[in-house]
Amino acid sequence: MPDRRTLIDSRDNYDPRSLDPALSTDVPTGRAVSYVFDGLTRFTPKAAVVPDLATSWELASDGITYTFHLRDGVRFHDGTSFSASDVRHSWERVLDPATKGGRGWPLYPIRGAQEFAAGKAPSISGLKVVDDSTIQITLTEPFAIFPKMLAMPATAIVPKVTPPDFGEHPIGTGPWKFVAWHHDDYLLFARNMQYHDGAPLADSLEARIIPELSTAEAEFQAGNVDVLQVPAQESPSWESNEETRPLLQSAPSLRLIYGAINTTRGPLRDVRVRQAINLAVDRGMILRRLMGGRGTLAAGVIPPSLDGFNPSLAAYPYDTARARALLKDAGYPNGIDLELWTSQSEQFPRIAQTIQAYLAQVGIRVKIVQRDASSMREAARNGKTDIALKDWYADYPDAENFLYPLLHSNNRGVGGNVSFFSNATFDSVVSRARREPDDQKRFALYREADSLAHEQAPMLFMFFYTELYAVQPWLKGFTVPSIFTGERWTTAHIERPPKTAPK
Amino acid sequence: MDHGAHRAAAKDGTQVTSYIIRRLLLAIPTLFGVLVVTFLLLYIAPGDPVQEMVGERADSATIARLRKELRLDEPVLSQFTHYAGGVLRGDLGTSYITRRPILSDVLERFPKTLLLAGTAMLFASITGILIGVLSAQHPGGWFDRISLGGAYLGISFPVYWVGLLLILLFAVTLHWLPPSGYGGIRHLILPALALGTRSVAFLARVTRSAMLDVLNSDFVRTARAKGLSERAVVLKHGLRNALIPVITVLGLDFGYYLTGSILTETIFSWPGLGRYVVNAISRRDLPAIQGSVLFLSVIFVLVNLLTDLAYAKADKRVNL
Repeated sequence: MPDRRTLIDSRDNYDPRSLDPALSTDVPTGRAVSYVFDGLTRFTPKAAVVPDLATSWELASDGITYTFHLRDGVRFHDGTSFSASDVRHSWERVLDPATKGGRGWPLYPIRGAQEFAAGKAPSISGLKVVDDSTIQITLTEPFAIFPKMLAMPATAIVPKVTPPDFGEHPIGTGPWKFVAWHHDDYLLFARNMQYHDGAPLADSLEARIIPELSTAEAEFQAGNVDVLQVPAQESPSWESNEETRPLLQSAPSLRLIYGAINTTRGPLRDVRVRQAINLAVDRGMILRRLMGGRGTLAAGVIPPSLDGFNPSLAAYPYDTARARALLKDAGYPNGIDLELWTSQSEQFPRIAQTIQAYLAQVGIRVKIVQRDASSMREAARNGKTDIALKDWYADYPDAENFLYPLLHSNNRGVGGNVSFFSNATFDSVVSRARREPDDQKRFALYREADSLAHEQAPMLFMFFYTELYAVQPWLKGFTVPSIFTGERWTTAHIERPPKTAPK
Repeated sequence: MDHGAHRAAAKDGTQVTSYIIRRLLLAIPTLFGVLVVTFLLLYIAPGDPVQEMVGERADSATIARLRKELRLDEPVLSQFTHYAGGVLRGDLGTSYITRRPILSDVLERFPKTLLLAGTAMLFASITGILIGVLSAQHPGGWFDRISLGGAYLGISFPVYWVGLLLILLFAVTLHWLPPSGYGGIRHLILPALALGTRSVAFLARVTRSAMLDVLNSDFVRTARAKGLSERAVVLKHGLRNALIPVITVLGLDFGYYLTGSILTETIFSWPGLGRYVVNAISRRDLPAIQGSVLFLSVIFVLVNLLTDLAYAKADKRVNL
């Protein structure tokens, strides 16, 4: 048992961009921002959304005007008080072209936000500070899940005065105060004794930046870090080892692994060809053999843990005969030629090779194009890939975060829809769902959209990943998060051995 | 020292100074070439810095705006003149990704890389030269054979493999040293060993053969004949004259240390410049890549100059 009062995390594998919420576009940045800052709402480890700096909110009968009631008596780490004008200032800052952040979209539902971001308006017309503890937000159209987006790191609240080096010396209202940032080495935070939801139990929190997984494993084995994110390909060895098995904890994550099928290229325009691809690949085998069984097969894009998931929608079976028949129907009895793009990360290259082998069985000749993540992303967004093997992590826990960015025609290309899927029925169902205030009706629309996606097969649906962590036996009060900013370490602590009298 | 010797020394001094100035002037076109080539390579390389800035989900209006603000929508020549103009004023620009000035990022990390590379080099030189000198004493003897075998293994092992073995043995199993990270001397030992191993082997072989050449030459026979002790022969006459090829290898190896340090820094989570460059490349942070490459080129030019000056110091016959 380590004799330290600092919690040590090993999950970051590269240096955060910045600690400025306005620049939080990657995982290490978002995670650090979620320690130092609060939003109006926040995520729990199980990816529920709960009030944070806002204590409650109500929606007016027009369906677009929200009144958020803010928590009284909250102070920033530098002692200044938090009030409604900080909210307005923070969001203007995220959208301000001068910030060059590029993460404005979570606030775009607010009326006037896009005009402000384009430099065409001096302020955001849909934001009104009513008094110190009340802010009124008017949206352009009804968008029932909007409060969920206010838990994203990009919309976190910063003080009115932000010096130019704010990204290096952040000040928020969150559970942890920033102490130090040694680039590419570690971030250090101290607990905020004034934190509005009760000070964290541990004295401090260190986020080590460890690029190499084997090194993180060594640090874990040496007892120097408290948690380790075990990647899928390593999970069998951790699970089969008697000593490490009891340390493992898992949680379903909001991550979809899939092959985006570009629905605008050659034979892939034909839905039968796309269905044939889905039928020709034994995803169950890939999940078991290459991912250590860590996940559930995807029938559509909505993960099982989210509302709108349809348990009766079955994943495509492995059926090569039907795949061949569909290809023949579509006019390709001699098969087709495709390029399958993959990045070099994790298991993707091996998954790509396996898909290649399966597709060869039904006459689809696949050429694998392996590139670094950046080149592949550019090619996929420019429509240069037939199938792009990739994954998608939810930014907020809602089915909309899968249906809309990945498959709505508004988001073709850079918006996330690299299938370039454009289906009027699907678009209208998803757009209606976004506007639908009634939960049950919205969930029904989500199910409808997901069934359409399944049937239209704009993706090679693979699986929803199940996160696996190794957690040291002495670490208590830590929950494996389903969304990456879900665990803020406030209840985590190192269990002390019972005090014994000195010998 | 008489008057004439004074003058000769002064003349030597001026010669060295003018040599250094000449070399530094020659470095300017070299560095300009580096600047142009890096810029063009990055210009034609696939991947888009703006898409890396905005992350997985974005909108085309934001992307277009950022592209314009970063001048990425301009013709390549105007982008280059703008960048080169900044460099001339000593401004390496601001990172697209982190919004921090490149120069301060580089200066923060370079000393850590230098510390690691320097320690590894020191370890490699001392161990390598010692092994080389001892092997040359009795060529074909047991020590020579063992060191030859060891050298082959040392040269063949990739640095990441050596690094992982060192971590498993000394950190995980024996708990003697921390597995990774930056800190005191305890954190420095394993990465320096990993980085230096290949070089030890190489230096030992070079020193050995250079020593054998020298020890078999006429002037050494003369030195022995006039009754000098073996120790004086080996150290004063042998090693000094064998140093020239060794210095060459060390100078050339410096490049290996800086690039080899990328892998070592990654394995040992060492926060040096190598990892900074790798990160910058994967995020297409163009100013950060260009700035680091240019900075490293300056270092290379300086190291080559120092190597040449060291030749002259080791061997008076070398003309500057």
